[in-house]
Amino acid sequence: MELLRTLVLSVAVLGTAMTIVAYLTWIERKVAARFHNRVGPYYVGWPHGWLQPLADVLKLIIKEDLRPRRADALLYELAPVLVVVPALFGFALLPLAPGLAVLDHPYSLLLFLAVGSLALLGIFAAGWGSHNAYALLSALRSVAIAVSYEIPMILALLVPALLAGSFRLDDLVQRQTGGAWFIFAPVLGQVSFVVFLLAMLAEANKSPLDVVEAESELIAGYNTEYSGVKFALFYAGEYAHTLALCGLAATVFLGGYLGPAFLPGPVWLVLKSLALFVLVLWIRWSFLRVRIDQVLRLNWRFLFPLALANLLLAAFFAVRTR
Amino acid sequence: MAEAPLQVVERDFGELAMHMGPQHPSTHGVLRLTLRLRGETVVAADPGIGFLHRGVEKLSESLGWEQLAPVYERDDYVAPTFNSLGFCVAAERLGGIQVPRRGAWLRTLTAELTRIASHLVWLGTWGLDLGGALGGGTTLYMYCFREREKILDWLEAHTGTRFHTNVNLIGGARYDLTPELARSARVLMNGIEAAIPELWGMSGDSSILRDRTRGIGVISPELAQAVGVTGPVLRGSGIAFDVRQAAPYDAYPELQFDVPVRREGDAFARFQVRMEEILQSVRLVRQILDGLPRGPIFTRRPLKNPKASKLPAGEAYAAVESARGELGFYLVSDGSWRPYRLKIHAPSFANLQVIPHVAPGLLVADLVALLGSLDPVLGDVDR
Amino acid sequence: MGELSLLLKGTLKVMSVTLRNFFRPATTVAYPQVKRPIPAQWRGGGFALTYDPATGEENCIGCRLCEYICPSQIIAVTLRKGEARQNGKGATYAGSFLLDYQACMQCELCVQVCPTDAIVMTRELAPATTSRQALFFTMERLFDEGKKLLRDPGLESHATASRLQAWTDAKRGQEDPQ
Repeated sequence: MELLRTLVLSVAVLGTAMTIVAYLTWIERKVAARFHNRVGPYYVGWPHGWLQPLADVLKLIIKEDLRPRRADALLYELAPVLVVVPALFGFALLPLAPGLAVLDHPYSLLLFLAVGSLALLGIFAAGWGSHNAYALLSALRSVAIAVSYEIPMILALLVPALLAGSFRLDDLVQRQTGGAWFIFAPVLGQVSFVVFLLAMLAEANKSPLDVVEAESELIAGYNTEYSGVKFALFYAGEYAHTLALCGLAATVFLGGYLGPAFLPGPVWLVLKSLALFVLVLWIRWSFLRVRIDQVLRLNWRFLFPLALANLLLAAFFAVRTR
Repeated sequence: MAEAPLQVVERDFGELAMHMGPQHPSTHGVLRLTLRLRGETVVAADPGIGFLHRGVEKLSESLGWEQLAPVYERDDYVAPTFNSLGFCVAAERLGGIQVPRRGAWLRTLTAELTRIASHLVWLGTWGLDLGGALGGGTTLYMYCFREREKILDWLEAHTGTRFHTNVNLIGGARYDLTPELARSARVLMNGIEAAIPELWGMSGDSSILRDRTRGIGVISPELAQAVGVTGPVLRGSGIAFDVRQAAPYDAYPELQFDVPVRREGDAFARFQVRMEEILQSVRLVRQILDGLPRGPIFTRRPLKNPKASKLPAGEAYAAVESARGELGFYLVSDGSWRPYRLKIHAPSFANLQVIPHVAPGLLVADLVALLGSLDPVLGDVDR
Repeated sequence: MGELSLLLKGTLKVMSVTLRNFFRPATTVAYPQVKRPIPAQWRGGGFALTYDPATGEENCIGCRLCEYICPSQIIAVTLRKGEARQNGKGATYAGSFLLDYQACMQCELCVQVCPTDAIVMTRELAPATTSRQALFFTMERLFDEGKKLLRDPGLESHATASRLQAWTDAKRGQEDPQ
């Protein structure tokens, strides 16, 4: 019975998540168009272009499935899968209602981060296995950035965990009832949120910290040699990863499924994640790209000390209020 | 089919040889940069050009004087008017032809408008280089091109084409200005001037751009003069040389404008020079609109059979200040209806030669910023 | 500290610029439902060989000046002798006229040299076809376009030979206001 329930729930959650991910591309293109005084997708699904994601997926599916002759077969074929699956796993961990998540684990916060960092393996496999100089450069950069930015991300997320006394995501949400969202916590909430936001931008490869797939320098980075379904998986995986991280931020900082009763809990979670996604889009479409060494300098000389100081302050506060 | 075993080539220095090949989003055209990288740092960079060579100089030997002006507009295709302007000024110098004042002023008007349009292209594409097609660079690009569209619309109303306007003839200008066009040109200039703070806000105010371009690709004045760079690249290195003031032509002797110069010689200095040049061009256009003299715009007999129109034998050199630098035309005539030899000094060609000297030590990302700040147009480089 | 405040100010400036533009209307024109107006002087369209609106006779006298001036050398004309015209423009006509639009760079030099205002460009968007053959403008097609201009003079670009030559007349007076 447990198994059936989990199965049904996982199908429902993953199905909804992937549909939202597909329409995230539409949201991104429409929001970007608004920033550019343009219209965005228009004709496919006239007049708002709402069939554009479907058209894109169909186009990618019917494309030729390539593999460069000198590419490492195992790494090349495995990379897209390694990128997509950790993001999907993240969706499984997010709580949708009190006690309701596809996987409700006592250490779900850590599990989210641990599995999420497997995506780095996928990116590196793609970069190395493609046998392409640009992809290799991109893979090297991604290793440096992903490894570096995980630290402030974890430190930022440790603060709400410390104050809530638990690593279970559902407990973190329950501590934010009554409108006491963690982002409103004096100093700690805001600093943690900003640190997490910057770390999320780096992990999800979004401007201004998107050196990994810097199109103007490295063509397309680690997915230069990919086309067709594998490219679609990378593309969807990037959006899924972003949405998962936005969902995590919404859960930890913005109260997750909590909200006035006229909308069910999961809908609130989705709305908050989308709001954060639009914030990420705003940042993404505003800033030029930071150079790789500057990205790392930003991390080690600004974000890491800030996150550490934030954690110490939180520890001090937690001890005082205990 | 048996696969050839992968060869592992050990290099002594651990360098990666890579082409920033002719097909690349950031090489501003079909430029091949042969790079040797150590990690992300460039050890050596060598520009390979010629992919866009169309043989314009040779073609000039078989077309007549009257036919040639529209042909050169395809050289520097981002700022087309300057090419035909240079040719016309050189031919006028060869033939001793005096252009009527109004014609000269109208030619300067379209030239300055083209300079603004070209600098807007440069800024937008530099934003794309620095910021990527999926980020803030695209936003800057869209804003620049939104403003540029207004200029192109005005040129369309004036000449019939947005871009390769063919307003320059040997002996004057081709299309005259009507009062409505003059009015709309003023509105256009107000719009451009109002948009510059917004473009500056997206680029110059952004600390990301400053961090990425300050100290990058520093060209010392000695290197600049040794290699022969021109235009904003030269003025960004502290040398105040502008053909419009050194060897003025057309309306420039009678117009007031400043030539921006910066001493740092890095990419940010070149950026500031070009942004300032846009504002100076706006000032020039306003002066032209205010003081446009009356009279004819063309001074020779009407255009007819090209074989009937000859220029005297001799040689002449004339340079104009294109958006990229000193665009020079050297003409040799043997007294017939077509040139004997024509040589174009392309500013982008000279500017590119500085890359092997300045690139070592830069990161790949900086190389892209450097290329953008040099603003080469491969049609100009290769002709 | 100063650098941090500079960073913050720059960040806020950039984001405020994009936010302001978020609420501006789109500058995109929804072509082809909405078409931009084509200005009076237009070089981006097709060509036409005109007829005299008073007498209905062909204007082209087969003088081949357009063929000689074209920098892309895409025009080929032959002359044929015929009946004297009523409008006094002589007794020669175009025997054949071929214009290869594929290499045309729309420089309008051919329009400018024509002594009889015969060849003009039309105020429509350049023809998009699916075959290269359709881009070789034959005499029949050019004269058909000329007949269209008889019915709809607005379809003709403002720049005809007479107007272009008038603009570039060296003896143009001083009455022209700026």
